[in-house]
Formats: sequence, structure tokens, C-alpha cells
Amino acid sequence: MASIKLKLPQAAQNAQEPITHSDGPIVTGTSVLGIKYKDGIMVAADCLASYGSLARFRDVNRLQAFGERTIIGASGDIGDFQYVQDELEKLMIKDFCLADGHELATPHVYSYLHRLLYSRRSEMKPLWNSYVVGGVHSSSSQRFLGYVDLLGTTYQSSTIATGFGAHLAQPLLRKAVEGREDTLTEEEAVKILDDCMRVLFYRDARSLNRIRRAKVTKDGMEVTDPYSLETEWAFAEHIVGYGA
Amino acid sequence: MLSEIVAQYSNDAALTAGSAHTGSSGLLGRDFAKMTNDLIFDLPNTQDPAEFLNTYTDVDSSADNQIKFAHGTTTLGFKYDDGVVICTDSRASQGSVIASQSVKKVIEINPYLLGTMAGGAADCQFWERELGRRCRLYELRNKERISVAAASKLLGNMVYSYKGMGLSMGTMISGWDKMGPSLFYVDNDGTRLRGDLFSVGSGSTFAYGILDSAYDAGLQKNDAIELGRRAIYHAAHRDAFSGGSVRVYHINEDGWEFISLTDFDDLHWDYTDRANRAT
Amino acid sequence: MATSSAKEASFSPYEDNGGTNLAIAGQDYCVIASDTRQSRGYNINTRFAPKTFKLSDKTVLSTAGCQPDGNMVVTRIKQHMESYKHAHNKEMSTPAVGQLLSTMLYMKRFFPYYSFNILGGLDKEGKGCIYSYDAIGSAERVPCLASGSAAALVQPFLDNQVRNCNQVGKPRIMAASPVSHLSLDQAIKITKDAFTSATERDIYTGDNLQIFIVTRDGVEEQVHPLKRD
Repeated sequence: MASIKLKLPQAAQNAQEPITHSDGPIVTGTSVLGIKYKDGIMVAADCLASYGSLARFRDVNRLQAFGERTIIGASGDIGDFQYVQDELEKLMIKDFCLADGHELATPHVYSYLHRLLYSRRSEMKPLWNSYVVGGVHSSSSQRFLGYVDLLGTTYQSSTIATGFGAHLAQPLLRKAVEGREDTLTEEEAVKILDDCMRVLFYRDARSLNRIRRAKVTKDGMEVTDPYSLETEWAFAEHIVGYGA
Repeated sequence: MLSEIVAQYSNDAALTAGSAHTGSSGLLGRDFAKMTNDLIFDLPNTQDPAEFLNTYTDVDSSADNQIKFAHGTTTLGFKYDDGVVICTDSRASQGSVIASQSVKKVIEINPYLLGTMAGGAADCQFWERELGRRCRLYELRNKERISVAAASKLLGNMVYSYKGMGLSMGTMISGWDKMGPSLFYVDNDGTRLRGDLFSVGSGSTFAYGILDSAYDAGLQKNDAIELGRRAIYHAAHRDAFSGGSVRVYHINEDGWEFISLTDFDDLHWDYTDRANRAT
Repeated sequence: MATSSAKEASFSPYEDNGGTNLAIAGQDYCVIASDTRQSRGYNINTRFAPKTFKLSDKTVLSTAGCQPDGNMVVTRIKQHMESYKHAHNKEMSTPAVGQLLSTMLYMKRFFPYYSFNILGGLDKEGKGCIYSYDAIGSAERVPCLASGSAAALVQPFLDNQVRNCNQVGKPRIMAASPVSHLSLDQAIKITKDAFTSATERDIYTGDNLQIFIVTRDGVEEQVHPLKRD
């Protein structure tokens, strides 16, 4: 009777060369926020890439468009994000070359991202990111807003915030957006995101007041140039009790 | 003819790993016939897979996401002149939670072979099911039933090839073959012992106490069965990880026979009444 | 995830996203229910993330624990059921899916799915059936079951209300077969009570209750609100 074959891990087969893993993110981006509003999806992220506590790169783009109506926002390791951008780019090119008239819609990109991240976590080589994926379907105008992270965790919601934003911005977003997804105007949506990004800038030490914002509607996508949020620090003098 | 059919189902072709994006090798998406002899388990891609597993599954682990497997048991089996008695409790614990009070810890491998279950519930269930398949294949190839000794050795060899990987299994394989009644102890270390009397599991010490004080190879069938039942009862009484109900099987030359399944509580009051009446 | 710090403790592939599942099997029905909250630590990711899925007109599967792993289990079971259908020209029976799930979980014995599953539905005789699993595939057929973050709260309630455990004058039900003394309406009532109570005492349970009712007419899905605090 044949014996059971034991599949050995790489390390055991190749004892001289132990495998090393990425044990954490190096150059990182902080929170990404995303909401649904009347006309579609709006996403915002700041322009900073930190190296530990060092504000290393101050003009980084963490919002990337794929196709006409899909936007992804990334937080976590910037290097891993750039790899994912390359992978998604390859996917888009492959799909385009088929020339079958089919377009990769937001749920497709979302699903691909999910599979990619889950397979890498299963190999114990995680891509250290959290993503916000947003988009509007070209014909049905259906809005899509989803989250994927390094473990492959997924969920969809009308408000999403990654990193520090999950603690600081998410409650504000939910209060402003939940139940009003179909009535919020673009101006209101912009104000909500700007306000939340400002709050994050006040309290998240790894953030910047220079941000990018993207909107996806049935008519297409617009990503703003980086712009600075007005800040007000006069109140800071009155804050006591934090060792200051 | 038969060997042709058997050959068809013993294809050695190893399964290739599943596509990367499923994050696992795809056993179940493949032709089942091709995997009859090769089982390939997914392993974590770390320096030491066994240590990885321990981080998340060891009972003393402090990991945030500890995975608690079903554990804990009292099982016993003994040979006597008229056959074999097999008794088990029916409790499964995951950590301090009682996961089930109705586990079937006697696994019916075939009409002449029984296996018991102690340690990891999934390990015992899976490997004894696999043993059942191999015993059937042996029967088809050799046109006769496998001996208890051979069957227990098959199981011992299977788990021995995974030694150090964290399997947890303490089992008794018993049955009736050309040699008469047989009883073997097999565990995850690869230990395989022939014997007349075994008890396995967290409550085994209590059961041994009862068994050793009253065991006699010349016991009547009813007395032998009652001895087994009482031993499990007392173990369940003193061992927190044992309980539920007591399940009894008996084996003779016609194969195994299910005797009884009695709730621990009912047994307790029955025994208490009997003790009161005696005084 | 601490996206804001350069140093991080070594990577853990698991995370508990919480959530509770419950199932009750009757003579000609099976009720499988779960809440829809998905959590991460003290954060609520979303208030509606279904973790119970219809697999066929006779079978429903619910998962709790690590969401990505549960998702993978459901995806792979669905794939296999589809290929079974094409190979045998019939739908896989609930007991067959039950054994499949056990084997599938065990094939990940050394890198387990952190997923606590309940498989429910109707068996070949049309009776309710429920299969209980641990993370690596030890399986058992039971008349009622709770799993997930509030399992230790809900299971004793079910033992008492469904299996008549510790009820004076009523014999407790020990068999794996479905219970005969509960009507479908009573089972649904018990399900709702179990979840409203679990929501009060378990922080990982709440938001919405999704109930799947399997009868010979197929699978009916209901959604009811739970407390959102």
C-alpha cells in the first residue's frame, strides 16, 4: 500500500536557507475614508508616506483609478501598494487585450484584490495594506463601496474608514451619512470628508493636512489635485491634561 | 479482474497544489479516486509548521485567536474469556466549555472492528475513517477480513508518519479475527501495544482503579459489561473532562454488538438507590 | 491594524470577527440563523455582513470566527457542490455536504480554518438535520446548536428550551434526530428570543438577525432588526 506523502514546507526542504517574512510595514500611509452619496462614491486620503515617525514623503498618491469607474484608496505599506497597483494594471491590460467589450467593473476589481490578499496571507507573506474600493456601475448606476485588508477580511458599508480613521472618523461618517446615502449632495459629501480629514490631522500624528479626494459618479471619475485643509490651532492652548 | 479495479483506484499520481489564489491545495476539487493513497495537507509556510500550529492550538497557548479543538475523554476496553467489552463516555470539551455531551466515541470501522476515540476528536474521526477505507480495500484485494493486528498497525503507521506534527489521538482498536478476540492500543506517538485491558483519556486513572479491583478473565458477560459501565461512571464522576452518557459495546465471534447508552445522571441515581438498598 | 507604526508584532493570519449562529432541526423543517454584525476588536466594521449562506434548496451553511476563512469555506463548498451536480446530475444531499465539510476542514489540519460552522437543512427523508463541527472537522449530528461568540450563552438556552434539559417532568432529548415537540413557529420564536438575549450580553452580536427556514418548499430568508448598541 502506498505511503502517505508528506508535503514539507519550503524551509524543511531547503534547511540552509530559512524563509524570512515581512514582519511589518515600513513606509506607510495612514487612514483612507470612503462614503456613498447621492451621485456615487467619494474617497479621500492624505499625501503622506511615513517612515516610522518620520514624515518621509510628503507628496504621495494613495488614490488610484482603475478603468473608468473604479477607485481604490490604500493605507498601510506603500511598497506593497505599488506592487498591487502593478498587478491590477496587468489585469486591466490583459482584460483590455481580449477586446471583448467587457469591462472590469468595481466588484471584479474588489474580488481580485480580495483573492490576492487572502492568498498572500495564506502563504504567510501578507501584503500589509487596507484598501477602500469604490465605484459606480456604468449601466445600472449602482454604487459599490467595499473594504479589503491584509488578512482578506472584506465588508461593504455606506461609510468606510481604515487605520486611525476607523476610530476617529468612522463615528462622524456614520452620523453624517447613514440613512442619507440617497440625499447627500456633492457639496455636503465634500464637507463631510474634509471635516473628517481635518479631525484626523488634528489627532493622528502620522497624517498630513494635504489631501486628495476622488469622486466616482455614473458620468465618470474625478480625482482632485492635492489641496490643503484650513486648520485652526488656537484651541490647542486651552487643552490641558495631556502632558502639554 | 478485482486487481484491475483496485489498480484503477490506487493511482499514485500526486495531486498538484491548487491555484495560488485559493490559498490552499485543492484536494476536494479533484477526482476523489486519484487521492486514495495520497493525502496532502495544507501546511503553513513557516520555518516550523508544528510550532506554528502550537501557537494557535496548544491548550496553554495565550494567542488572541486560540483555536480550541474538542478534547477530553474516558474510554476503556478489556478482553475476557467471552469476548471484548468497550465502554466510553460522551463528553467533548473545548477549553472549559463543554462542546457536546453526546459524542459517539466508538467508531464502527466495520462489523468486526471497533475503534475508540480519545484526544483530538477530529484526528480520531478522520484517521479511523481512513482506516475503515483501507481495511475495506484490504478485504477486496485479499478476499478475507483484515486481522485486528494488521488493522491497528495500519493506523499506527499512518499517524507515525505525522509524528511531531501535533496530531492527538489515543485509541483502542479491537475486534474478532481468526485468532479470536484482540485488543490494541494505538496513539499519536506511534505507540502500538497488544493487551488485555486498557483505559485511555483524562479519566483513565479513575477507570483503571475500578477495573483493576474487579477484573477477572472468567467474568460472565453481564458482569463484564457492568464492570465496564461502572468504571466509566466513576471516571465521569471524578474527571471534569468526562461525562455525558456511558456507551457500551460488546464483541464476540459474530462481530460487535451495541449494548447500551445510559445517561450519567440516570446511572448516578440508579447506583445511589442500589447502594441505599444494600445498607 | 496599526498602519501608523513601523514596527509590528509578528504576523498572525487569524482574527476573530465575532458573530453568533444558531440552528434548530424539526421533523419537517430546519431553522438556521445568524446575526449580521462584523467586528474587529472593539470596532464594528459593518452592521450587515451575512455569514449564513444558502447552498441549495435543502442546505444552508453558517460560519463564524475569522471572516476570510469562513468565506473561503463557503466558496469551496459551493464550488464542490457545483462540480458534484455536473458529475452526477443531482444536487448533493445535506448529509453528503456534511461529510464533505468535515473532510475539507481536516485537510487544513496543520493550518486550520479559524471558522466555526453549522450546516443545516433537510436530510434524504425530509427531516431537519444539523451538523456541528470544530475548526478541524470533527463532526456530529445534533438536534440544535449554537456557535460563535455567544455560543456559551445561547447553547444552554437551547438545551433547556429545545432539548428539555433540566425541565422537571419532561424527558431530555439525547438523540441526534430532530425534535418532534416544536412547531416551526415555536422554533422561530425561540430563535428570536435567543438572539435578542445574546445581543444584550455579547458585544460581538447584534445589528440584524438573518433567519433561514428550510422546508420541503425550499429556503425562506427573513431579516429582523436587533439592537445596534
